[in-house]
Amino acid sequence: MNTRFSTVGDMAAVLARWLLGAIFIFMGMSKALHPVEFLKLVREYELTQSPWLLNSVAGMLPWFEVFCGILLLVGVAVRGSALLLILMLVPFTLVILRRALAIQSESVIPFCAVKFDCGCGGGEVFVCRKLLENVLLILLAGWLLASRCQKFCVRHHLTAGRAQL
Amino acid sequence: MRLACRAWFIFTCCDCCHEKLRVSMNCDPHYLRASKRLAEAGRVFCEAIMVAVLGATVAFVANALSPRGLTLSRNYFPSGTNSLSAAPMADIAGTNQAPAVVISVLRVNEKGLQFVDSNSVALLFHDPRVASDRVIFVDARDEERYKEGHVPGAYEFDPYHPGKNLNAVLPVCRAAEQIVVYCTGSDCEDSQFAALTLRDAGIANQKLFVYAGGITEWTTNGLPLEIGGRQSGNLRNSAK
Repeated sequence: MNTRFSTVGDMAAVLARWLLGAIFIFMGMSKALHPVEFLKLVREYELTQSPWLLNSVAGMLPWFEVFCGILLLVGVAVRGSALLLILMLVPFTLVILRRALAIQSESVIPFCAVKFDCGCGGGEVFVCRKLLENVLLILLAGWLLASRCQKFCVRHHLTAGRAQL
Repeated sequence: MRLACRAWFIFTCCDCCHEKLRVSMNCDPHYLRASKRLAEAGRVFCEAIMVAVLGATVAFVANALSPRGLTLSRNYFPSGTNSLSAAPMADIAGTNQAPAVVISVLRVNEKGLQFVDSNSVALLFHDPRVASDRVIFVDARDEERYKEGHVPGAYEFDPYHPGKNLNAVLPVCRAAEQIVVYCTGSDCEDSQFAALTLRDAGIANQKLFVYAGGITEWTTNGLPLEIGGRQSGNLRNSAK
């Protein structure tokens, strides 16, 4: 493990990886410790009526987020984890947007005044702030996906590729 | 040849492509460059699949081992039926309830349950039958909130963890003539799910009443709260 930073970009990439990992661990744990509360919030999105699906999402997703967060923090399968986070964050953001629009149309208030607990792990939050946060997280994950920085990574990639990463 | 080159990443993805294959394909430089990019994307994609499979396994085990974990096959939100007797809509209209409470009452009715308003709850609380557990209150919130303050003498029954208190609550419910189930307030449905769980366990629907206003309305009306466990004797008057 080479601990010398070659560029400012490398340092930023490491910080971005640690930040994203820490955020996902925190968000995941706050839901994993209160799965029933999270289950109720997931149900409010009205995405499915199937108890199996609802319970699987509410029971397993928080731990999955923690798992991905740990991988990012220690630097294992960084690009694969970053891709997964993007694949999770994009639909999450879309369903939050859909729910916020529904609340807005019901309560006839400005869009950015819509405030609700989206089940993201941070309690009640204004929707514009949440959407902005998610976009930033997607960009961070996208950066990690494109980044070739392997500093402070235990094992940056699991598959031994031929192309130099 | 083009198809072969495009499919190349599938082999490289899981690290099973050999140099021999690349040489034997005799690709031109353009396709080789494209293939390299595809191969790299394929590797990342495969890595994501590996992480997803491993993460799902870890998450499944963690949920199963966690004392707060969810039972994946259980329906935590029973819908109930409309077949049983419910309070007529006229009863709701005459109660001067807040809109949120009215919506909650309608939900109670949809599930075939009966609702009880704040005036009736206050009367039931002062009913002499409370002393002999012929009229009982059931708190459907979690343990933490229950201990922060509940209707004096109320039994704790969290419908999301029925195994914890069901055995203690069921005999009392069977012996009771009227059971008032409540949770936080009109925003929560926990009291309805608790009532449905009790009904499914064999308690007669006629005995079950859902107090839609919940502990929020109770405290707003200045009625007393019991702090800590049941019969702790630690009573507090809620501010009106």
